[in-house]
Amino acid sequence: MDFAKRARDSDGGREGEHRWTLSEAALARLFVAPSVLMLALVALFPVLYAGSLSLYLYDGREREGFTGIANYTHALSDERFWQAILATFTFTGSSVTLELLIGLGFALLMAQAFRGQGPTRAVILVPWVIPTVVAAQMWYFMFNIQPGFINHSLPLVPRDFNWLGQKGWTMSALIVADVWKTAPFMALLLLAGLQVIPPELYESARVDGASAWRRFLHITLPILRPTILVALLFRTVDALRVYDLPKVMTNGTFGTETLSMLVERYVVQTVNPGIASALAVLTFATVLGVSIIFVSFLSRNLLLGSRA
Amino acid sequence: MSEKGSDGMSLEELLGRRVDRRTVLRGAALASLSAPALALWLEACQSQSSTPGNTQLTWAVPAVAKEIRQKTADLWNAQHSDSQVRLSVLPEQADQQRQQIALELNAKSSTFDVIAIDVIWTGEFAKNGWLENLDDVRSKLDGVSLPGALESAQWKGHLWAIPYVTNAGFLYYRKDLVASPPKSWDELMSVGLQAAKGQGIAPFVGQGAKYEGFVVNYLEYMWAAGGNLFNKDTSKVLFNANGEALKATQFMRQSLTAGFYAAGFNTMHEEEARITFQSGKAVFMRNWPYAVSLMNKTGDSKVVGKFDIAPLPTFSGQGSVSALGGLNNSISAYSKNKAKAKAFATFAATDPAAQRAIGEASEPPTLASVYKDLAADPVFKVLGQVLPDARPRPPVPKWNDISAAIQDQIFPAYNGEKDPAAAVEAVRKFLESTL
Repeated sequence: MDFAKRARDSDGGREGEHRWTLSEAALARLFVAPSVLMLALVALFPVLYAGSLSLYLYDGREREGFTGIANYTHALSDERFWQAILATFTFTGSSVTLELLIGLGFALLMAQAFRGQGPTRAVILVPWVIPTVVAAQMWYFMFNIQPGFINHSLPLVPRDFNWLGQKGWTMSALIVADVWKTAPFMALLLLAGLQVIPPELYESARVDGASAWRRFLHITLPILRPTILVALLFRTVDALRVYDLPKVMTNGTFGTETLSMLVERYVVQTVNPGIASALAVLTFATVLGVSIIFVSFLSRNLLLGSRA
Repeated sequence: MSEKGSDGMSLEELLGRRVDRRTVLRGAALASLSAPALALWLEACQSQSSTPGNTQLTWAVPAVAKEIRQKTADLWNAQHSDSQVRLSVLPEQADQQRQQIALELNAKSSTFDVIAIDVIWTGEFAKNGWLENLDDVRSKLDGVSLPGALESAQWKGHLWAIPYVTNAGFLYYRKDLVASPPKSWDELMSVGLQAAKGQGIAPFVGQGAKYEGFVVNYLEYMWAAGGNLFNKDTSKVLFNANGEALKATQFMRQSLTAGFYAAGFNTMHEEEARITFQSGKAVFMRNWPYAVSLMNKTGDSKVVGKFDIAPLPTFSGQGSVSALGGLNNSISAYSKNKAKAKAFATFAATDPAAQRAIGEASEPPTLASVYKDLAADPVFKVLGQVLPDARPRPPVPKWNDISAAIQDQIFPAYNGEKDPAAAVEAVRKFLESTL
């Protein structure tokens, strides 16, 4: 391909100019193509492969034949799947809300300049740095009746309170462990958003006599909204896929079996690639659906923001 | 940017090119890309560190009682300097061990040479082609190893593993609180509740968390009620044929509500139960024999000299029943040292010194002659009573699915989250579907 010739033809005969011009758009597509190809290979292929696996009937590890959507109807009519959906959404809703509120509090604290700001920030971040499995094991020892650290150290808790063996309390224990672990992450994201708010806005508001609460409500929150939405998107998608925390702490008992645990069950424990792939595709669709909702909120918000 | 020393060449002259930021960055990129490749290559060279004639065998063992495994390995290593055995410790719980082993063998990895597998996995692992056929060493084991253990290492008429240790559950009781161990579960419940009230402790601990150990406990109740899963040749489902499975489930439910089971019973595995009993907080415990030597260690244990063991009760008051457990040493089909691995596994099963060391740590060995030697030991006395009646779980490849089905249905049933009759019926339906 004679790029030089095309250049001369396409830009109205500016002779003698040596420019590599396909159209800008075509050039952009060409440069992006390798990355898109890599992404498609790494990210898209497993999804498509799982989709194709899910169309076959399996007995244990052996393929028995093509069945179309039988695996999906089996999964969707299984009460266990809907209990997993309930558990996953309950966990996600509660933990993300709490993480947002606590994370926002931490972020506002970390954004202030005061003596000991550095150590405070470090201490706040420590829970997030610990690997999830280690944290889960630690919280198991705290909550489980044996050795029962929480039962023995908190004043109003009876010695033999069975946190991890009762419906309702098991989920609460999981949520406490998750909020402890991930509120710092939210705080970090929100802190980044807080730091782009110009201090002059606060100055002028203070001069106008606005109280701290009104400054927070009318300056901080509106400017922070896109950051909040991004942070919520990250955390929600993560929480919907949670696996290691409930697996280590409760092994899915008493209403804490999440979608990912259900998939793992059919991949490792009672092996059935057909059902496992169908469940994996359903999980993927659920998480994708939720993230699309968030992204549409985000883009609508940004549009509104630019108009205002 | 070139530094000129008073003598010698500058960096630029040495490299023969300009040393500026771009060159430095390029060099750094090249180094960082080749570093992982170099590391991998070095690692590969290292892992073949065994010189010819000098093999290293890796023996995968569960974490529980790993000191006893180390003793066996040490005894072998002392006599065989050219093939040293190294332990690779698997997790504590059976389900997690299986996961780890499955991950390795699914990937056809040659990391493990000898694997100590639970008696219930023989059929499944053999069917998956993960184990080496060991029919050629059978002659060394017939009449030498305990027949129950040898049976559990076979599937479809072939030998897939070599017996190593066997196991049966029994009853631990506080002899300072209970005069003589009851022979029926109902009597045990009333005696337990009475004795516990006086002391302010719990009557009974066992394995009630949702895992394989729970299935063992449940099956012991079911067998104690006279029930069965399948018939002798696994062609017919006998589960709950006369309501035994329902009776067992209802007994567990009643135990939980009446306070017979300790608080937290439904999150207990073997170790949690042992620690509770060891701290003096329970009157009775159902556990494997390994706990005896651990609870007799002064310093850690509060019940040294205060406990004794007995066969588990039944519902009728006659006889006893317990679940057969144990470990068999299998040879990985992907091992690179199969001959030496076979020799080690046979040694572990038939060497009198190795097997007696296991017995002295109060873990039941599989070498029949050891039982005669240690007949005076109280643990072995009870084992001698219990082992002939120990019932194996069906050695079918689908055992894992069956166990999962029982966990899924009976665990919520005894916790009051599911109707026991419906749960038992669901398990029966599932068992029918596996035939």
